[in-house]
Amino acid sequence: MDRRQFIFSGIALGAGASLGIAGWQYSIAPQDDNRDMVLSALLPALLFGALPQDTTLAQEALARSKTAVTDFMPFLPKRQQQELDQLFNLLANRITQLALTGHLSQLAGLTITQRLAILHSWRDSYLSLLQQAYHGLRELLYGAYYGQSEHWQALRYSAPRFR
Amino acid sequence: MKHHHLDASTFSSDQQFAADVVIIGSGAGGGIAAEQLSQAGFKVLLLEEGAFYTRDDFVMQERWAYPNLYQEGAARKTRDQAIGILQGRTVGGSTTVNWTTSIRTPQPTLDYWRSEFALDFTGDNDLTPYFTSAEQRLNIQQWPVPPNANNAKLQQGCEALGWQYTVIKRNVNGCANLGYCGMGCPINAKQSMLVSTIPAALAQGATLISRLSVRKLNWQGDRITGVDAVPVDAHFQPRHDIRVSITAKHYIVAAGAIGSPALMLRSRLPNPSGRLGKHTYLHPTVISGALFAQEINGHSGAPQSIYSDQFVWPEQTATAGFKLEVPPLHPVLMATKLTGTGEQHAALMQQFNHLQVTIALLRDGFHPHSQGGTVQLDEQQQPVLDYPISDYLWHGMRKALLAMAELQFAAGASKVLPIHHDATLYSSWAQAKAAIAELPMQILRQTVVSAHVMGGCNMSADAAKGVVNQQGRHHQLQNLSVFDGSILPTSLGANPQLTIYALVWRNCQHLRAEMGAKPNRQSA
Repeated sequence: MDRRQFIFSGIALGAGASLGIAGWQYSIAPQDDNRDMVLSALLPALLFGALPQDTTLAQEALARSKTAVTDFMPFLPKRQQQELDQLFNLLANRITQLALTGHLSQLAGLTITQRLAILHSWRDSYLSLLQQAYHGLRELLYGAYYGQSEHWQALRYSAPRFR
Repeated sequence: MKHHHLDASTFSSDQQFAADVVIIGSGAGGGIAAEQLSQAGFKVLLLEEGAFYTRDDFVMQERWAYPNLYQEGAARKTRDQAIGILQGRTVGGSTTVNWTTSIRTPQPTLDYWRSEFALDFTGDNDLTPYFTSAEQRLNIQQWPVPPNANNAKLQQGCEALGWQYTVIKRNVNGCANLGYCGMGCPINAKQSMLVSTIPAALAQGATLISRLSVRKLNWQGDRITGVDAVPVDAHFQPRHDIRVSITAKHYIVAAGAIGSPALMLRSRLPNPSGRLGKHTYLHPTVISGALFAQEINGHSGAPQSIYSDQFVWPEQTATAGFKLEVPPLHPVLMATKLTGTGEQHAALMQQFNHLQVTIALLRDGFHPHSQGGTVQLDEQQQPVLDYPISDYLWHGMRKALLAMAELQFAAGASKVLPIHHDATLYSSWAQAKAAIAELPMQILRQTVVSAHVMGGCNMSADAAKGVVNQQGRHHQLQNLSVFDGSILPTSLGANPQLTIYALVWRNCQHLRAEMGAKPNRQSA
């Protein structure tokens, strides 16, 4: 375990211990369900105002973005993949999520405003690790959404075609 | 020509190769060296970690280009995540994805190298003939087409304020002004290594092995004895199931200013100066967005055609100098750099076509408080750059944000947005000036990026102050050269490709003479 993994775990462990809860587990291994759960909660918040009004179209856009995240992550250095996987695993776990977000209910149970407030609290945290989590997720998720040509209508942008 | 190319990811068993010269990396340095040494009759083996993608693969979409053509999916970061680094990883290296700006090494930079590192590029060592050769080889000429609106605003701002600006020279031939240089030129107009020196080297008998990651240089006494490499997987991660061994008479490391020091550190090469992997420079870059009433369409047209050196060599050396340029604007590049979340971010993205963006590249490495970064190895033995940002650089960045805002308002911007997580849209120069003065200059508040990685194996006449000599030869190992941007002793204050072309071109003449140029097999 390197220092970064230790600190990330330490944040969750400290909070867990203060609540008298022990025996939680963290993992740096990818767990698809956890990643999907966290992305399903955070993407609609980050993309609030950008997603189509139509629910079906919005769901399709979210699905495309989640697939894009999953497809892109293996190109990152292994150490960054592990950090992201650990963050997804911690946020998907009810106890460790409390430590990272201050909310006992699952991310999906929070309003968009509450989810954005959590992201902003990471951005403004005194812990550089949470700041890094904010910037890392933000870049990954915005890159995934705006990389899809289906999502460019609002930008009035299209790549030239000449072939 | 394809029969001179091997894709290491298709190897099904361990492989061994031998050559006169093995070149590790196919970017600006490796590409020039491959042609020069093949022409001299040497059997050249050119190794590249990235894939051999060509024109037909370049679909002008960021979602394909970034993971497939850039280091770490274009998401490479410094250790503390404070600086994002755009660096190529494909056949042709960064030359395949750069924005074509071609500038000779500034004279003050050469003067500094002379005084600090005893590097003499005057008289017989003058680089001028090599600049000329590279300019002819790669069709480097002043761009004759009017700048796109993104660049025109930089020009207009300079004109309004009486600031210096220059029309950029570009390495293009038959450029259609598309604006997608950063995703690989789809019409082979950009004269990158991919379409110029590498095909020429292959035609002369060189062999290219792509998707091959060199893990170690073996050495004994004062000589390199061989190279250990492995294929990479579909995501460019090193594999461990197949081994590739290569021997050569001479070894050239040209894996870029992060890759080259990392390879040499993994190999535990002699490092008596202690400078291997140290003093890595980035031209740390800050960004300023501006909204204009008219459409800017920064995705269209030559990405860079105007620069300003108004601030690059300040009289007060206590202030870091910076060069003003503009970047191409594409959805992912913009979405990831624009600040804010939710509706605020969405509203900015909706003004995509009205957004002008100016960047300021700081000239690092010329001051005691700007000594660059350090290449380190992670648990997987992959490189990670630690680059602390000093108060000296933060001070220069604040000056740069101020200069860019002043310029953008002078060019007619309605609002200016410094790319800083505490900044908002400012409606006047006075308002921006007051706000920028108060912005906290801290990592992960102030966005910092880089597209130029330099240093880490710096040249120096004195072995105590560098890793290689003025010819790019390793000070301790006789049959090892480093031919890429890692040999630069400071940053340049200019985009680096032409400096690398000229230095490596020159170094190849010395190497050819020393190894004894052979009759060209093709003409023999």
